[in-house]
Parts: sequence; C-alpha cells; structure tokens
Amino acid sequence: MPSIKTAVATITATAALTSAIGFSGAAMAQELTIGVSIPAATHGWAGGVNYHAEEAKKRLEALYPDIEITISTAGTAGEQANDLEDLVSLRSIDALVILPFESGPLTDPVRRVKESGVFVTVVDRGLTEEGIQDLYVAGNNHELGRVSGEYIREQLDGEGDIVVLRGIPTVIDDERVQGFQEAIEGSEINILDMQHANWNRDDGFEVMQDYLSRFDNIDAVWAQDDDIALGVIEAVRQADREDELFIVGGAGMKEIIKRVMEGDELVPVDVLYPPGMIATAMDLTVQHFVSNGPVLGEYILGSPLITEENAEQYYFPDSPF
Amino acid sequence: MSSAMLNNKTTQNTAAQNTVARPKGFSIDLKTWGPFIALVVLAILGVLINPAFLGLDNLSNMLTRSAFIGIIAIGATFVITAGGLDLSVGAMAAFIAGVMIILMNSLVEQFGAGITTIVLGIGASLLLGLCAGFINGIVTTKGKIEAFIVTLGTMGIYRSLVTYLADGGTLTLDWAVRDIYRPVYYGSFMGITFPVWVFFAVAVIGYILLNYTRFGRYCFAIGSNEKVAEYSAIHVDRVKTLTYMLQGVCVALATIIYVPRLGSASGATGVLWELEAIAAVIIGGTMLKGGHGRIWGTVIGAIMLTMIGNILNLTDAISNYLNGTVQGIIIIVAVYLQRASWRKTRP
Amino acid sequence: MPVSARNICRSFGDNQVLFDVDLDLQAGEVHALLGENGAGKSTLVKILAGYLRPTSGEVLCDGSPQDYRSSGDAEADGVVMIHQELALAEQLSVEENIFLGRELRRGPFLDRRAMRERSQAALAELETHVDPRARVKDLSTSDQQMVEIAKAITRDVRVLIMDEPTATLTENEVTVLFALIARLRQRGVAILYISHKLREIEQIADRVTVLRDGHLIDSGPMAGRSKEELARLMVGREITEMYPPLTVLSSDAPVVLEARAFVVPGAVKQASFTLRRGEVLGFGGVVGAGRTALIEAVLGLRAKSAGQVLRSGQPVVLRHLRDAVHQRIAYLTEDRKGKGLVLNMDLRSNVTLLNLRAHCHPLLDRRREEKAFQEAVQRFDIRLRTAALTAAELSGGNQQKLLLAKVMSIDPDIVIINEPTRGIDVGTKHQIYHFIHELTEAGRSVILISSEMGELIGLSHRVAVMCAGVLTGIIEGEQINEHNIMQYASGIKGVGVDEQRHA
Repeated sequence: MPSIKTAVATITATAALTSAIGFSGAAMAQELTIGVSIPAATHGWAGGVNYHAEEAKKRLEALYPDIEITISTAGTAGEQANDLEDLVSLRSIDALVILPFESGPLTDPVRRVKESGVFVTVVDRGLTEEGIQDLYVAGNNHELGRVSGEYIREQLDGEGDIVVLRGIPTVIDDERVQGFQEAIEGSEINILDMQHANWNRDDGFEVMQDYLSRFDNIDAVWAQDDDIALGVIEAVRQADREDELFIVGGAGMKEIIKRVMEGDELVPVDVLYPPGMIATAMDLTVQHFVSNGPVLGEYILGSPLITEENAEQYYFPDSPF
Repeated sequence: MSSAMLNNKTTQNTAAQNTVARPKGFSIDLKTWGPFIALVVLAILGVLINPAFLGLDNLSNMLTRSAFIGIIAIGATFVITAGGLDLSVGAMAAFIAGVMIILMNSLVEQFGAGITTIVLGIGASLLLGLCAGFINGIVTTKGKIEAFIVTLGTMGIYRSLVTYLADGGTLTLDWAVRDIYRPVYYGSFMGITFPVWVFFAVAVIGYILLNYTRFGRYCFAIGSNEKVAEYSAIHVDRVKTLTYMLQGVCVALATIIYVPRLGSASGATGVLWELEAIAAVIIGGTMLKGGHGRIWGTVIGAIMLTMIGNILNLTDAISNYLNGTVQGIIIIVAVYLQRASWRKTRP
Repeated sequence: MPVSARNICRSFGDNQVLFDVDLDLQAGEVHALLGENGAGKSTLVKILAGYLRPTSGEVLCDGSPQDYRSSGDAEADGVVMIHQELALAEQLSVEENIFLGRELRRGPFLDRRAMRERSQAALAELETHVDPRARVKDLSTSDQQMVEIAKAITRDVRVLIMDEPTATLTENEVTVLFALIARLRQRGVAILYISHKLREIEQIADRVTVLRDGHLIDSGPMAGRSKEELARLMVGREITEMYPPLTVLSSDAPVVLEARAFVVPGAVKQASFTLRRGEVLGFGGVVGAGRTALIEAVLGLRAKSAGQVLRSGQPVVLRHLRDAVHQRIAYLTEDRKGKGLVLNMDLRSNVTLLNLRAHCHPLLDRRREEKAFQEAVQRFDIRLRTAALTAAELSGGNQQKLLLAKVMSIDPDIVIINEPTRGIDVGTKHQIYHFIHELTEAGRSVILISSEMGELIGLSHRVAVMCAGVLTGIIEGEQINEHNIMQYASGIKGVGVDEQRHA
C-alpha cells in the first residue's frame, strides 16, 4: 500500500533529520529565534500538537544553545493574528512555524510576517494564497478519508450499511469526507446517514445513540476521529451491539492505538493523522538554518493505516493524546 | 393590637370587595403552560419525522442525556431567580470531573478499585462543587462585583485548570474503577435510568425549596429588588451565596453521573453547558433579570433542548449545517409563546 | 384660554375613572387640582398632557379641539408635565437630562456649550446650586425635582402641570419653588398644581377644582374657600380632628431604646437620643440632615463608625435589620417603592416577607399566609377594589397601608416610621395618625421622621432636630412649635452649633 510507504518515509526522514542536525549543530554561530504559533489545547488533537511542540522545543534547545524557541498558543483566529504581530515586533523572530487556526483569516497576517523578512513554515492547514510560505508541512486529509474508505470497503466485501460521524464543518472535514466517498464509490456500500459530531466525545456518543435507535442494522461506523470514536464505542457498548459492527476512527490517539495493539475487534484499525507533524516542521525549519543547503518546498505526511501488526511504533504512552 | 385600624370612612370596605377577583377568561394561561405545549408540539413533530422517536430506547436515551443540563439548570434557576448569573458551570463541571478522575485513579493504589474509591470520589466532587459555588457567591456579594464578570473569570480559571491537569489532552478513568462505576450512568431502576431518577429527585427538591421554603421566597424577593429584601431583614448576601453553592452542588451531581458515561474529561468537556443551562431556564419561564423562577419550566426546557438535538439526529431532511438555525428558531418561538400577550387588549 | 377640557370621560376596561369632567386653565393663573388618591387627578392631567387619550370628550387648546397622540404633541403646544415619579435618566448628567430628546446641535454635533449655558441659566433661576455636569443619580431627591422643573422651564412652556411637586422637597426648597411659580405666573404661564397639602394650596392657588371618585365636585376661585371646606369636599365628609390627642405619659415611663454617640461616616457627626415607653419621638430637620442615616445606622442597615444601642437599658449589637427585628423594632422606610415593597410580587407574599419564619414549619404554609393577609386587609383597611395582583397595581395610599401591614407583622414594641404620609391623601393620612395614636395607647413607642412640620407638632411628645449631621436639640412639650424647630434645623440654636459654623 502506498500510504504505508509514505508514512515510513516520513518517519525515517524525521529520524535522519534529527541526526543530521546533531552533526551540523556546531557549525552555527549566530543566534536564532524561532516563533511557533499553534492553537490552544482545547481538544485532544490540538493537545497532542502542544505536547509535541513542547517536546521538540526542549530537544532542539538542548541541541543548539544558540536557538531560542517561543511557543504561543491562541484560542481563536483573531488571537493568533495578534500573536503573530507580537512575535515579530517583540521577539523579532527569524523564523515562524505556524499551524493556522483557519486558513482564510490568517493568510494576510502570515504574508505580512513574510514581508518583514521572516522564514515561514506553514503546518497542516494551507494558506489560501500560493507562494507565501517557504516550507509547507501537512497531513493529508483527503488520504485519511480514502484510506478509511478503502479499509471499510475491503472488510465489508463491497457491500453493507454504514453510518458516518463528521467533524466540525470545515475544509478539513470536507476533504476527508470527499476522500472517503471516492473510495467507496461504485461499491454496494450504503451510507445510512452523516451527522456532525464536532470531533467531540460527548457529541459522538449522542449521535451514535440516535443512529442505534434509528437503524436496526449497521455494519460499520466511520468516526473519522478518535475522540468521536471513543464516544461511539460507549454508545455501542450500551446498546449491546458490539458484535454487529466495527469502528474506524482517525488521528492516532494513544487509547485507540492501544486497543488496536490488543486486537480489539470493535476497533480493528486506526488511520494516522499525527499531531507530531508540528515537531517535524520545527525540525525542518531548524534544519534550513543550520544545514548547508536550504530546506524548502512541501512535505506531505501520509495517513497510513495502523493495524495490530504495526501499532506499536505509533504508540506514545507519555503523550496526552 | 386587637382593635382594627380606625375606619372613619363610611364602611364601604366590605368583605366582598376585598376578595381579589382573578382575571376571568377561557384563554389557556400560556405563561404557565407555554413550555409544556411547546414540548408536546415538538414531540408530535418528532413522531411525524421518524416513528423511532417514540421507541423506548430513544426516549430513555434522550431523558438520560437531558439529565446533565437539567440538573445544572435547576441550580441555575435559583441563581437567576435571585438576580444572579453563573457562567462558570460548564467549566466547573469539566474541572470537577478532572479532579474526580485524578483522585479516583490515585486512590486505586490505596483502596483498590472498589466502592470506597468511588464513594470518596463522589464525596470530593460534592465538596468541590460546594466550594466552587461558595467562591462565586462570596466574590460577587462581598466583593460587590457583577456576577457576570466573576463567573466569566472563574469560567476561564476552571477551563484552563482542567486543560492543565490533563496536559492539554484527556484524563481517563482507571479501567477497573470505571467498570464498577459504569452502572451509575447506564444502570436503571424500574426501567428508568439512574440519571433520570437523580434529575427527578433534584427537580422535586428544587421545587419544594423554591416554592415552599423561606429560602425560595427570599430568592424571589432579592431578584425583584435587593433593597427591599435588605429592608425586609433578609440576609441578602447569605441567600445569594447559598444560591451559588446550590448551583455548585448541582454541577457536582451532574458531573457524578457524567463521569461514568465516557470515563474521561478534557478541556472540551462541558463546553457551552452554561449557555444551554441558561437557555433551559429561560425557556421554562424564569425571568433572566430575576424575581420570578419556575422549576418545572426549567425541567421542560432542558428536555426540550435535548429533544431538538435528538430529532435533528433522527432525520436527514434538514441540512446538518442548519442544525443551529432550527435550534435557534425553536428556542425563540418557545419563549415568544409565553411572553407575548395573548389576551385581548383592553377596549 | 390656553387649555380647557370638556366633558372628559375615561375608562380602563370596565372601570370608569372620569365622568364628564370640565377644566379651564387661564393664562397667568395657578389652578389647584384637589382630590383623594384615586379620585382621577392623575388620569385627568395625563389626558391634558397627551399621555392618555380620553374615552370621550375633548381637549381644547386656544379654543380649537386637539387630539394629542403623545406627550410630544402636547409639548409642541407648550403643555409640559412634571411627573410625580421623577422621570429622569439616572446615569446622564443634569444638562443631558434637561435637553434629553431635544438636544441643541451645531451641524451634526452636540452643542454642549450652549446646552450648558442654558442649563445653568435655568438652574440659576431656580436658585439652586445643582451642578449641570453632575450625574442625576448622585443628586438628592429634591435636587432631582429641581432638575425636572428646570427641564420644563427651558421649554417654551405655556401650561405647566405639576403633580405633587413638593412631596419630596424641604420647606426651604418649597419657598424657592413658590417664588418660581409666582414668576412663571407673571410671565403668563398657566399652572395646574396637584397637591394634598391644603396649606400650600391656600398659599398659592388662584383657582381650585375638586374631584371625588372621578366626578367634578367643585370649581371656582380660591378666594372665599377655606381649607376645612376643601378638605370636606375632597373626602365627602367632615374631618374634625386632624391629629388625635397625645397619649398621656406617666413620669416613670421606662426608656425602651437609647442610642449613644452615633457617628455615621459622611452623614452623622454626632447624635444621641432616648425613647420612652408610650412615647412618640419626632425627628425634624431638612432633607439630608442625617435623620434617615442615623436611624438606619441604629437599626444596622448602615455602617457606623461609633455608637452604642441600649434596649431597655441593656446594650445590644444590631448588625443587621434581622437583629433589630429580634429586638422587636420595626422600621417603615420612606421609600416604599424602592425599599419597602416588592412591586412585582403578590400582595400576600409582601405582607408576610418580613416575618416569614412565622409561616414556616418547616415548609411554608400558604393557607396560613393567606389568613394573615386577610387579617391585615381588614385591620389596615387595604382597599382591593380592582383585581390587584401585585403591589405595583395599588394606589399610593394602599401601598402605604400594605407596607404598614408588613412592618406590623412582627408585632413590634418599637415602631420607627419614616415620612409616613408622603404623597398620600388626606383620608389615609388621618388613618395613619390615628394608627400611631393606637400604638402608643397600647404601650408601644414610636419614632416619627417627618418633613411635615404639622405632623411633628401634632403627634410628638418630643421632637429631636438635626442639622447637617448633628442632633442639635430635643424640644419638649410647650416648646414644640414651628419657630423652634426651624431654629434648631437651621443650626441657629442648639448643641454642636459652633463646630458646625467652623466646619
């Protein structure tokens, strides 16, 4: 499967980078300030992003005494725009790593940062305008949907009734659903209904409860996100219908990965959308400054399928996510 | 004094004239029955949209779900009736849930995964709710700061505390403890789940407190006019603080039945519960500016809010993107039904 | 003739409150409108000023019929009304209030300077020291009243309607107001003046109209009509004795309440008094002299910086009104709408609010409450002619009686009454005076705070007078007269006068 290949490539690339940085560390002389702007840890995945950003900061600062990394978290898009101004004017950063809250509203603020001569790395959510960022590191939402759809299609032998729980109505959600629908196109798989569960456990629980009272037969559930999946699991358990269906989540939350590792039949697989991509982006940004050649362009991380066999390598028990 | 106040006027003041004539009319008193009628209409709509609505499982799921908001809203009825406001309830619930989970997880080592651990967790939760309410109350009354600002502040504090406790992720209850604790949400007695029983009990106690005790009457008086209450020898600050403490206990109760549902808490737990609770209270006929409160109205308001979400999940006729629109319209119509003047205007 | 009313009838639902009433206002005349509470005076003036429309009949302005749809229409014709309940925006400044709704502008911007100048001129004419920039909520009630009047005179007023303007004013302010009225009269303004105070009417009215139960009873020149006759016309019966006789105090009547050396920050500098069993102790002085502050500090309603209370010789600590209630001391506030009654609550709950404990065992007993309420209705002669469901719907006099019923529910030994007759009619006043007499006859003691000199003189055994936060003196027996009270109230006589002059 191509997805596994890209994922493995990413992982090895990251490892290689880390060691490369280790070698070239001494070469750098001038002081360097990197600003990292990410959404506040208001839900699980963003919590993971915060964790990985902090970890990368510790690791990189220990490795390079001359590099200073400032992490600022924002609760809204507007707040994040303010953070950018402060990073430039108060911290006079040399590089910015940003995971934008929303693409549209932040495109212009990021452009202004770029215009002041700062190296810009954009993570996960692309800006609405081309050519602003120097470096782009992102997961692949479309692929996450596609991988999930392919797995469900395969497991059900191309026919069956499924329900879908969507995220918060955004571009990310749309891309995932689009990828999913493309993957099951042409099969006998019938989507009974799609409702938004907002990447939230409580909503996942309630929407699934209602699906269960509405539909007598459900063969599979695509929950798209591991927080939603945890809510779905509880609802299914309450209705005593564990044997009838299986659930596919997404992202790579440690609780779900553990279940996959243990061979839970209700949650046989997970699809990766790693919050660790922020660390990758920070590594690459540092690499740009300390290595000999420039690091530019796009780095798209894959969304590999996590199965019982390979789950262990995605399991980070210390991460909050 | 036994003698009647001197009555020099020609005695026109007969007993007949003194009996208060109630306004006559066949029009249904919409102020009282408005929320109930709206609920029935909504239920009929639900059945028409999908007969599965009336399924026992679905009704049970719905009532059980409404218990959290319902219990919190009953506490909010007291706060709002006494002229206050508590925006911190959602964050408070998340915080209490977080502390409860951490505590129970650490107690497992000492007491094992048993009833003791759970009882201690529940006790701590109630105590925490009481304290959190006390803080809200004392700061608003003694500090003379608007409740809006105080509880907006504590809302931020509790929300960030739970995020901090969870390291930005999710706190998960020990597996073994959870299996013992689980029936508190999922178990039932006489076919009705425990959360619904708790909701019902809280509502009955709330009704008696508000309508048949001095405390309740004082809430009405304070909400109507604090000065008058003070000049009626009422300990205004004490009563107001008590309403916040009652609110805190209600939040703790809601949390106690919430935690076993998913066995977890995070920064996303209880987001917007405060607005849902306030909405339930207002739909039920309580005045937001204080002075008038109705417990049964609140109960119906809470059920109605859950019912809207439930019905929307049971149909795909309405675009998912419009859920908020439908909810908003129903809430406004429900409140309009009771506020609008339906009696004929005077000639 | 600026404004006349012809055959005015007005009904609220089935309840007719005005029956074929005529009224003529002449330029340059003060026309007094008399009647008990509920006689229809307020309804009539609201019709003249465009707030209400008559059910039948017409309002004429300069001889031509007018159909005012709003108070704005009437104001355009120069008919302005000053309300009994002040209608000012509390958070705005004096000048902003004076020009509210008709701000002077220069282009699109407010012309603040012109507005300030004109406000200042109007306030100067009223001989008041109110700062045009002050916020209305920081002013005393009487100053607010002055602002209302200033607001009216900055308009080109031809007919000025004043509903109980002196209810909250001190004697001094009343004098200023009357001088102003005289000036307006000279300018040819027609003034319609509503008051319960017959003495004032005798002083300023040129013409008088009496209403009773919505009917026109009498109208004509004031000359040749006596106070007594007008009172009889208003009430419809003879009022013989305004004040009941004083209860005879035995010389060994014990002291039931004593306040020693009270100091209230910002209000009372020094005050002590005693109250004996069966006695009425009057409290005189101008508004703002510290009488209410002193009494409320004694009761625990306000913070004090020094002072001791003794109840029947025993020191007691009153931190909260509840403590005072335990000592069987009852307090009737002067602000019955703002502090006395919960206006949007039903009557029964209002009556039992102060003594709710008596109806709890442990849950509230609604039937017992109802019984207590019915007893109070009988005892205090509360008239429920219409279906009044909340306290707000009662007339002023009935509200006062309801408040009295509430306060008396604790069966007090000492009753402190603050301005009991403000804004209520002659008949109810009379009832309240007799009620005070009954209390003292039954061995209870009364403290009476009043700005009406007549009340103090007619009802009190002793009168304590305050001036600028100092209790300047206590007058007894024969000494109680208007002259003496004025001397102490203005600080010419009495204790602590010297310090005050230096202050």
